[in-house]
Amino acid sequence: MRLELKNIDKSFGEKEVLRGVSFSAESGKAFGLLGRNGAGKTTTIRILMDVFPANSGEVLINGKPIDYDKIGFGYLPEERGLYPKKLIVDQLVYFAELKGMSHKSAVKSVDSWLERLGMSEHRNKRLDTLSKGNQQKIQLVTALAHDPQIIILDEPFSGLDPVNAMLLKDVVKEQIVQGKIVLFSSHQMSYIEEFCDSIAIINAGKVALYGDLHDIKRNYVRDRLVVSTVKPQKIQDDFSSTCTVTDNGALMIQLESPAEKQTVMKRLVDNYDIDEIKVFEPSLNDIFVEYAGEQV
Amino acid sequence: MKQFGKILKFELSGYLKNKVFVGITAFLVVAIAIAMFIPNIMEMFKSDDAATDVDKLPIMLVYAENDELSSLVKQYFDNAFSDYNVKIADCTLNDVKDQITSGNAECAFAINSAFSYTYYVNNLSMHDSNTTIADTVLQEVYRVTAMVENGMSHEQAEEIMSVQIESETTTLGKDQMQNFFYTYIMIFALYMVILLYGQMVATNVATEKSSRAMEVLITSAKPTSMMFGKVLASCIAGLVQLIAVFGTALVFYNLNKNAWGGNMIIESIFNIPVELFVYMLVFFVLGFLIYAFLYGAIGSTASKLEDINTSVMPITFLFIIAFLVVMFSMANGNVDNTLMMVCSYIPFTSPMAMFTRICMSTVAWYEIVISIAVLIASTVGIGFIAAKIYRVGVLLYGTTPKIGSILKAVWKA
Repeated sequence: MRLELKNIDKSFGEKEVLRGVSFSAESGKAFGLLGRNGAGKTTTIRILMDVFPANSGEVLINGKPIDYDKIGFGYLPEERGLYPKKLIVDQLVYFAELKGMSHKSAVKSVDSWLERLGMSEHRNKRLDTLSKGNQQKIQLVTALAHDPQIIILDEPFSGLDPVNAMLLKDVVKEQIVQGKIVLFSSHQMSYIEEFCDSIAIINAGKVALYGDLHDIKRNYVRDRLVVSTVKPQKIQDDFSSTCTVTDNGALMIQLESPAEKQTVMKRLVDNYDIDEIKVFEPSLNDIFVEYAGEQV
Repeated sequence: MKQFGKILKFELSGYLKNKVFVGITAFLVVAIAIAMFIPNIMEMFKSDDAATDVDKLPIMLVYAENDELSSLVKQYFDNAFSDYNVKIADCTLNDVKDQITSGNAECAFAINSAFSYTYYVNNLSMHDSNTTIADTVLQEVYRVTAMVENGMSHEQAEEIMSVQIESETTTLGKDQMQNFFYTYIMIFALYMVILLYGQMVATNVATEKSSRAMEVLITSAKPTSMMFGKVLASCIAGLVQLIAVFGTALVFYNLNKNAWGGNMIIESIFNIPVELFVYMLVFFVLGFLIYAFLYGAIGSTASKLEDINTSVMPITFLFIIAFLVVMFSMANGNVDNTLMMVCSYIPFTSPMAMFTRICMSTVAWYEIVISIAVLIASTVGIGFIAAKIYRVGVLLYGTTPKIGSILKAVWKA
């Protein structure tokens, strides 16, 4: 299955929020939707889920306009919150039923998810008796219990301890393996790098960068070398004009052109005590800052 | 439609599982049940002091310079003031005043002449009609005396004074007297229920919004299903509460029917004609819905629960004005005045105004049909507009938006 957004425009009053947003996501893969605060991520998600219509543009499934009666969405909003005063099982079953499940299968599914997330003992408690992290796990059930084809997770890892984060990672990986389309929105780049094959960076309502994460990194000009060594001083002296020290203590050598790579590598290996040399690839964090940082 | 059913069920169970709701309903049911036993309870206490003693009644003094006049007046006052122990004061006027201020006597009439007197009382009650009674009695005394002086026998004079007129009233339209009470009760019930439940609907929506449950809800269900589900659930909850209270009243009234001795007011309430009962239900449900939709829409625009009270104020005012118009017209007995005529077609006022006119006046069938049709159409229309406002409103956080900008957003959506 292929989900595609095509030229989405949206404005609220005078304010243009989205301008020609397009990207597509494949089932069995995770897609990262990135952007700074207020860039238009949530608006994009809401249009995708038909909370409100776009001014123009289309949402397509396998090339045809999406039929919201047939395609199920699971959504974990960034602003968490359910009914604090109601029993957990009651509200989870209610949400699953709203998504079209029968009462019986909703109860069954909710129970198995509570079990999976280790929350069964809280089944008959009020939501507000739980800690924040546990409330978040409960909220995750609302996104998954009805077995949706498209799962949208907005900052899913915020507020989770490392053990719960691991549990959530496993759950997300499972969903990807099951062939779901998983849309991630997060500012924690490490998670995006870990899960997502493709990303789109939205900046001021426009897609600033979109594509396969691996390709994006590959397409950067490969004209920098990262060198790890126990004796940096000598190299620094010899390459003084092109050498800088990175944050983690490694050396970064700027080449005149990518073609020079081979020669410089050989020269380093032959003349110095080298632990590791690699061509510099920017981290997602660097890419994000580059594309989302400007034009705001 | 399936979603609507689920939402209705969930919202309704929210009311029925709410401890405050159940508690208040139970309290009202018990209170009304006890109230229905009151005549029986009073009967029990009454039997002890059935022989009401003249000595226990409050004392009314009659003072006159002329002994003959004072005894004549006392004779008449004895009959006229049966709830007083009427005594002739054999003392000075100052002593009479002292007796009143000290509380030994409740009031006194100092008769100056056949046409004039002074009424003495310590604290003059708002409901004190003693002077009015005294005026009538003294007029009678004067007339009888005058007739006797002019040669009539005392009996003849008495007979002339106490002649009875026979009369009979045939009501061709509506008996306002009889219909007054259930009209009054229906208007009041509608008033109470709309204000209470309207506020509840608004709070309910605002709570979902402030707890951010809305973020998931709005992506799970259609705003129209949400709005109609919520509002109808509150309507059903309100009706359940009313039926519980009035049902209890009916059952316990019938248990104590003898003790009430066919109390006219209560009889007239429970003997409401079927036709009027149906109108009552129709106007009640529609009136409730139209306001509940408005309250729901307003609730969706508030970001904080604290804002609700100020946000709903305009609707509450609109409603109170409608209530006052109807109440004043009812009190006047003129329910067909121009204002009421107009109000009985305006959807926000017609539930109360038209129902009152149907009960207390004669209204042509087509007027009723038009009024109900307008009301149904506007209720459904307001419902859909409310759902649109809801969809726009629930996603707006921060300061409460202006009405204009909401309507603009709704228009565009």
